[in-house]
Amino acid sequence: MSDQPLLDVRDLRVHYPIRQGVFSRVTGQVRAVDGVSFTIGKGETLGLVGESGCGKTTTGRAILRLVEPTSGTVRFGGEDVTALDRASLRRMRRRMQIVFQDPYSSLNPRLTVGSMLGEALEIHDLARGQAAQDRIAELLRTVGLSPDHARRYPHEFSGGQRQRIGIARALAVEPEFLVLDEPVSALDVSIQAQVVNLLQELQERFGLTYLFVAHDLSVVEHISTRVAVMYLGRIVEIASRDALYGDARHPYTKALLSAAPVPDPTRRSERIVLTGDVPSPAQPPQGCRFHPRCFVAQADPAKLERCRAAEPELREIAPGHWVSCHHA
Amino acid sequence: MSETILEVRGLHTHFFTEEGVVRAVDGVSYALRAGETLAVVGESGSGKSVTALSILRLVASPPGRIVSGEILFRGADLLKLAEGDMRKIRGRRISMIFQEPMTSLNPVHTCGAQIAEVVELHEGLSRDAAHARAIEMLKLVGIPSPEQRANEYPHQLSGGMRQRVMIAMALACRPDVLIADEPTTALDVTIQAQILELLARLRRELGMAVLLVTHDLGVVAETADHVAVMYAGQVVEHAGVREVFARPCHPYTAGLLASLPRMGERRERLRVIPGNVPNPARFPSGCRFHPRCPVAIDRCRTEAPEVVTIAEGHDSRCWRAAELAAGTLDGAGGTRA
Repeated sequence: MSDQPLLDVRDLRVHYPIRQGVFSRVTGQVRAVDGVSFTIGKGETLGLVGESGCGKTTTGRAILRLVEPTSGTVRFGGEDVTALDRASLRRMRRRMQIVFQDPYSSLNPRLTVGSMLGEALEIHDLARGQAAQDRIAELLRTVGLSPDHARRYPHEFSGGQRQRIGIARALAVEPEFLVLDEPVSALDVSIQAQVVNLLQELQERFGLTYLFVAHDLSVVEHISTRVAVMYLGRIVEIASRDALYGDARHPYTKALLSAAPVPDPTRRSERIVLTGDVPSPAQPPQGCRFHPRCFVAQADPAKLERCRAAEPELREIAPGHWVSCHHA
Repeated sequence: MSETILEVRGLHTHFFTEEGVVRAVDGVSYALRAGETLAVVGESGSGKSVTALSILRLVASPPGRIVSGEILFRGADLLKLAEGDMRKIRGRRISMIFQEPMTSLNPVHTCGAQIAEVVELHEGLSRDAAHARAIEMLKLVGIPSPEQRANEYPHQLSGGMRQRVMIAMALACRPDVLIADEPTTALDVTIQAQILELLARLRRELGMAVLLVTHDLGVVAETADHVAVMYAGQVVEHAGVREVFARPCHPYTAGLLASLPRMGERRERLRVIPGNVPNPARFPSGCRFHPRCPVAIDRCRTEAPEVVTIAEGHDSRCWRAAELAAGTLDGAGGTRA
């Protein structure tokens, strides 16, 4: 692996204006992603976890410019994606693709699987005619479907098969990097493992790099090399998989890990149950965004004062292990 | 051992559609004891939710119909009650909460008014007394400043708070049984943890029985006393929670447990159950799991297995249950598709 990461995201922000009244005046900003930085090396899988509204999905989409970043840079293979014009962006999209959570709403119901895949090949000038047909058959076999499936429509498939089609479509343009946005969350338990295994096999076979966005911590642990935890638009902790699961330092990460139900009735866990709800990203708390729910800050008035006063920076507490907490 | 409070016996709920008869629930039996939690686990199309809806006779008809079976609540068959009598059971003796609280709450009434309505209706309380009960219930489910929240509308609350309001409404008449259909599936993990703690506390304090319908084996392990595993409209395994996780005696249960990624456990690849979840309109012949089963034998393709009791309180619907119970056969089969 070279020193240069494949993907380098720096201080990424995505703010949405809140408009109100007859003149649609801008009365505030939803800071969905608010200063996110990380890198992903070639062949790595970075797991991005957090609860709904934390900005993990928006981060994934902003990297591909499916939503426009408000500020910050995204470098892919050294090239600044945020500075590209439309034509260059289209060329770049051949190298970076996305797989969505709900394969049904992301597939065109009126196209057969074959024409959907053919479209991707055509747009990027990769294959036409018989060559395209051969390539489509090969793609379907690659994701564990049969070439006959090319003639069918999305509604004729089960959830797991549809997700395989979504993966085939992403792979059609031979990308180097995939954003996987909750790719197994909508699937039945017995189907999840099939798709997770497929993603791992494809990664090895084609040398793919993944950003795996999910809320299921056990799936993320299984598939990731490194893991980043987001809360209210910011990364609160990022580390190697082993460090994050074995030695979490941020109170939010600890709470998240302890809250996940363990499928073992002999180990009914002692949970850290956080009080309160996730605050609105339109009005994140002053200082550390987590302090109103933080069991460390709330237990100690001396600590709390600092958490209220200043927003902690991400700092490296061990090689490759970054935490944004004053008290970590 | 406490008494059985609710028992489903040989329930068949079918849907009569243009494409044919969908046998969504096809001979389901399970029993819930007073004060315990029975988890009904299954994937989409397994019939777990339709069974729960059948208990309260809430299956939309047409196209659905309870074709046969009994639902015994304290020994009386709910399926034989007149609708007026059933209404006295529903919400009062047996309550239900759903996955998506927003679609179950009325958006044009305040939370307090919706809870008060339940007790006015069932217990004939005066308006003031009903309002006071509503606030008491909101307090019980851990909603901060309940007096103020009682005057707010559902859209003003977060998802977790809405689920608490639903629970408050369901428990306002202190029912004997709470049916919770995927109560935490739409919630984030930290909020899920809050709701699960809440349900456990209320179950202890109110002594009610909980029928928990879920697909999440983690939630099952943390909350259930007994488990019924459903597949393709039938219960395929029924046992105490420790038994099911330690010694699954149906290949489907074994396969599900083996396919789960677990925190702190590193594996190259996950074990899988091959194939797809069957379409309820076209269940396979013989044992309905046989096309996906790694240990299926010829008999499984043609002959539907009966329920066998392996040990006290441990049932399995599998021809090879005895081998699985003895440990001479690995139900997950070690397949990697």
